Amino acid sequence: MMLKYIIKRIVLMIPVIIIMTIFVFSIFYFAPGDPVSRIAGPNATPEVYESIKRKYGLDQPFIIQYLRFAKSVLGGDLGISILQDRPVIEMIKERLPVTLQIGFLGFLITFVIAVPAGVIAAVKKNTVADYLCMTGSLVGIAMPTFWLGMLLLYVFAYKLRWFPISGDGTIKQLILPGFAIGLTNAAITARMVRSSMLEVLKQDYVRTARSKGLSEKRVIFGHALKNALIPVITLMGLRLGWIIGGSVALEIIFSIPGIGRLMVDSILARDYPVVQGSMIVLTSSIILANILADILYTVVDPRIRYS
Amino acid sequence: MAMYQSKDIEVYADKKWLEQEAVKEREQEKKSALVGFAKRLFRHKGAVIGGIIIILFIFIAVFAPWLTSYSYDKPDISAVLMAPCREHIFGTDEFGRDIFTRIVYGARISLKVAIIAVAFSLVIGTVLGAIAGYYGGVVDYIITSITDMAWSFPTTLLAIAFIAALGTGLQNVIIAIVLASWSGYCRVVRGQFLSIKQREFIEAARVLGMSDARIIFRHIFPNSLTPVIVMATLELPKAIVIEASLSFLGLGAQPPEPSWGAILDSGRGLLDQAPWISLFPGIMIMLVVLGFNLFGDALRDVLDPNS
Repeated sequence: MMLKYIIKRIVLMIPVIIIMTIFVFSIFYFAPGDPVSRIAGPNATPEVYESIKRKYGLDQPFIIQYLRFAKSVLGGDLGISILQDRPVIEMIKERLPVTLQIGFLGFLITFVIAVPAGVIAAVKKNTVADYLCMTGSLVGIAMPTFWLGMLLLYVFAYKLRWFPISGDGTIKQLILPGFAIGLTNAAITARMVRSSMLEVLKQDYVRTARSKGLSEKRVIFGHALKNALIPVITLMGLRLGWIIGGSVALEIIFSIPGIGRLMVDSILARDYPVVQGSMIVLTSSIILANILADILYTVVDPRIRYS
Repeated sequence: MAMYQSKDIEVYADKKWLEQEAVKEREQEKKSALVGFAKRLFRHKGAVIGGIIIILFIFIAVFAPWLTSYSYDKPDISAVLMAPCREHIFGTDEFGRDIFTRIVYGARISLKVAIIAVAFSLVIGTVLGAIAGYYGGVVDYIITSITDMAWSFPTTLLAIAFIAALGTGLQNVIIAIVLASWSGYCRVVRGQFLSIKQREFIEAARVLGMSDARIIFRHIFPNSLTPVIVMATLELPKAIVIEASLSFLGLGAQPPEPSWGAILDSGRGLLDQAPWISLFPGIMIMLVVLGFNLFGDALRDVLDPNS
């Protein structure tokens, strides 16, 4: 039953990925202006124009062009940057690690803040501590990540000078953007931890643990928290898309050469192969993460039905 | 031709009278339900605070020209980069434009983009969800597949991808938000239709020979409205943040349009000299998002009898 569900989810992922690649391919195909003259430049002679048209396969109909595109993507070839004239996959390989590092740090900070805050709010429900945590969470949810990033940059880089003003290639450059993501994400997560914890504390096994005479500490940390975190941890996988989306603006604010910055720069410069390549890499990893989170959630929590 | 017996006429008259009474009663019920709803809403702290913020925001957007004596796009060389003072309470930017004025006009952009985007995604999502939920079968399968696919795309990246294809500008931002967010309504409305469709009063209406359109619009739709309203309220701040993010990245509003995101971006290079340029639009975004979130959560609390 379980295996069947997992296989079904993975099989259902295939059309999503195919549609995604069609969509991403169409960005280049339907973008305003003639794609050939975009590559060739305004002063190209008719011969150069024709040769570029053939080189990129732009003389073929849409479906052939797409199939060709899909074939090379499957082979790990994401095309060649118009601007830099080198393989897109190389550029992505250079830029992706730093984005992942920011995301990882963001997740770490999320947990360090959200779990204690959510647990305190749940255990001390309707006390000052609960109200403080939940008010902080409301404000954090309302705060745009990129604005928080600018505030952190102003205070900790410009004024206090604890961190570099623009990316310097060291680990220090990651800390402020990591906090910008971590703090805003923690706001939502703390709410989730709180409600999940409240749900668990109502369960019979918690009452049993209490009536066994276990200390409140052991009941909360030994029994309740473990179970309360199951949905939280797995649902965090669904936040990956949000985190990468937030990272795009932060990479620009902190002048960090990540994949988000690469993508926006390429959109503005109309370097479509790079836009397509980064879009494919990012969306397929997010779709994959979502499905993994989904599966994990079902595997860990036996109450979920596999339909 | 069958003759009407007097008894039949009596029954008919009785039925007519009963129907009129029922209609009256129902209207009374509706009125008292509405009064009760308003009372509960006014007693809810979140609803009141959120409501005040939303009303202020709409007021600022509507009466923008009356709130300021400056122009949002005319440069003034005599007032370049002034810190907040009596003449310019939020300071001025590098062109000497009053930040308060730009923010006030920016409220118009935020409100307009959010309302149009949410209205379109609501209509598209609701219609598709209603069709899928009501008719079921192959239609449902197709619509659900498309919805699930759209749902699994990360919103921010999807919006950025659309902008890459369509070009920058606010109109394309609206299209991008609609395409990225209609699927949520579709899922909710489909679920509502599926559950309401099986209730007895729908069965009764069908037996009485009512047309599909009448059943959908008169009976199912009004009963499935609640979650849609709550969702729309909570989608408005999301649309505002997406617009601000895209404009911040240079993909949305183009200069001199005073979108909050664009103002924030214009202060990015001047963060050390003129932090006020980026400070105030961020506070505005945060307040407005907070207002809508408070109000939306309150609406859910008040409208949902299970909570």
